[in-house]
Amino acid sequence: MAERILIAPVTRIEGHAKISIFVNDAQEVESAMFHVTEFRGFEKFCEGRPFHEMPGLTARTCGICPISHILASSKACDALLGVEIPPTAVLQRKLMNYAQILQSHALSFFHLSSPDFLLGFDAPIEKRNIFGLLAEDPDFARRGIRLRKFGQRIIELLGGKRIHPAWGTPGGVIGTVDPSERAEIATGVPEALESVKLALGRMKTIIDSCPDEVEHIGNFPTLHLGTVTPTGELEYYDGVIRIVDGEGNIVADGLDPQRFHTYLGEASEESSYMKFPFYKPLGYPGGMYRVGPLARLNIARAAGTALADRELREFKHRSTGAVNQSFHYHLARLIEMLHCVERIEEIASDPVLLKTRVRAVAGQNRNEGVGSSEAPRGTLFHHYEVDDNGLIRKVNLLIATGQNNLAMNKTVEQTAIRFVNPRALREEMLNRVEAGIRCFDPCLSCSTHAAGQMPLMLEIRNRRGEVLGRLARR
Amino acid sequence: MTFLIAVGNTLRRDDGVAHRVLELLKPPAGVVVRSCHQLTPEMAEEIASADTVIIIDADVAPGEPRLEKVEERPDNPLTHVVRPAELVALSRRLFSFRGEAWLCRVPGIDFGQGSGLSPATEANACITAELLLRFLG
Repeated sequence: MAERILIAPVTRIEGHAKISIFVNDAQEVESAMFHVTEFRGFEKFCEGRPFHEMPGLTARTCGICPISHILASSKACDALLGVEIPPTAVLQRKLMNYAQILQSHALSFFHLSSPDFLLGFDAPIEKRNIFGLLAEDPDFARRGIRLRKFGQRIIELLGGKRIHPAWGTPGGVIGTVDPSERAEIATGVPEALESVKLALGRMKTIIDSCPDEVEHIGNFPTLHLGTVTPTGELEYYDGVIRIVDGEGNIVADGLDPQRFHTYLGEASEESSYMKFPFYKPLGYPGGMYRVGPLARLNIARAAGTALADRELREFKHRSTGAVNQSFHYHLARLIEMLHCVERIEEIASDPVLLKTRVRAVAGQNRNEGVGSSEAPRGTLFHHYEVDDNGLIRKVNLLIATGQNNLAMNKTVEQTAIRFVNPRALREEMLNRVEAGIRCFDPCLSCSTHAAGQMPLMLEIRNRRGEVLGRLARR
Repeated sequence: MTFLIAVGNTLRRDDGVAHRVLELLKPPAGVVVRSCHQLTPEMAEEIASADTVIIIDADVAPGEPRLEKVEERPDNPLTHVVRPAELVALSRRLFSFRGEAWLCRVPGIDFGQGSGLSPATEANACITAELLLRFLG
């Protein structure tokens, strides 16, 4: 009799989800599916609002990465105004983005994922959390908290508060940076660098110690998509879209993010509120692609900063083509953190940051605008259409986590086939399935534009839909 | 040193009552104040040097505003919710916090979308400010 195992809710991720594992008559895992069970409807209720409200409204999509939405939204609004924003505003936006990626990655690595690595995938569930980690290695846990605090503090210095700052605006930013704030940022760099280097060293050891997980948790070829500079270096604020295939070959380059809808499609499935974006030339679902840290390192020729460049070169040697193991999202996240700290140091020493002209003033000049940026979890697009009075007629948000949806589903399936034995179901098997999802650090609040925390549930069902077993935790 | 943290979302009406309490309170010298949307792990370090930490938050349960000791129950896998118990536990274990920790519960009744407090919760904010002033001496 075929069965279905359901993991719901999924734990240590942001949002609500469940995983179904389907079991065949031979009691073997046949397939698996990741469902997102929340819905919020930002795209709909923003209709009719003045476009200048959009950075503030869409920031509320998420408490972890509101800066990403503020940036993409502000850029979409810049496009509606048809302005080029002042250099100081660009620097502030870049600084804010690096700080946000740093704090978000620190949360993902130290708080959500490292308990698996440092305590073990098979450690008792009651120990496998940040409190277990701090009992095992308090200095490591402390560094994780302080690293996140560094990123959050930069956001607070520039935006006035750490979560949902009223800071980004059409045409620039609100507020200037003074010398004491710049000095405080610079002061925090050495410790941040030391902590990231320490974590990188630990992660490389961890990778060597769990080859089974590295090889069987989401290891398959896909396209990788992200933003690069025109010369192919890592870029998080403004650049062109590049896509490489699983062999590392460039499939498309120099794509205009403003025209993302011409090369990215969005499918939907009844099983999930999250959309299933795909690369149009390869169709659905053949156009599966990944975004985020792994994809960004795969598409970039170089990082553009000394320490991250060294790590990137080493990273690329982990495969002959693109690095396709989703497990390496964690390592890629740490390399990005290193890059972010280096960029933060650069920007903090740039005198342009202290200039006071931070906003271009203009009226609405266009009826359609697209903004994009690299969010912690991948490329984020905001697409607005407005009427002649500046009221929103249509909104489309293409979220990073959503773009990883097809790959997350494939990861869940591959991981379940390798690690789940339906005849002797144990919690640690399910934890590996969850760990597959956590590689992507999904932010489901964003991707479904949904509320709440994200525990996980697992359920076993047969092909007739009958629930034969259930495992839930919160 | 006393550290006062007001927690809540002012766009969910009564959920933002803690911020109103801070406006009314006019904290005496020696009291450090922080307003936030939600508790976050890095606050564990910030509160570590305090003798007393008071976390003010809206309460969905009816009743009177009240102060209660924060009990450490670090059983949350720490997704993106940090509760007072976890914050205090983190601070004690990682940053040697040795002070007292209190949770000030302010009952609210309307947690819908919108700004501004319901009249009953506004009254609770006034009661809470007086309660805290007495507590702070």
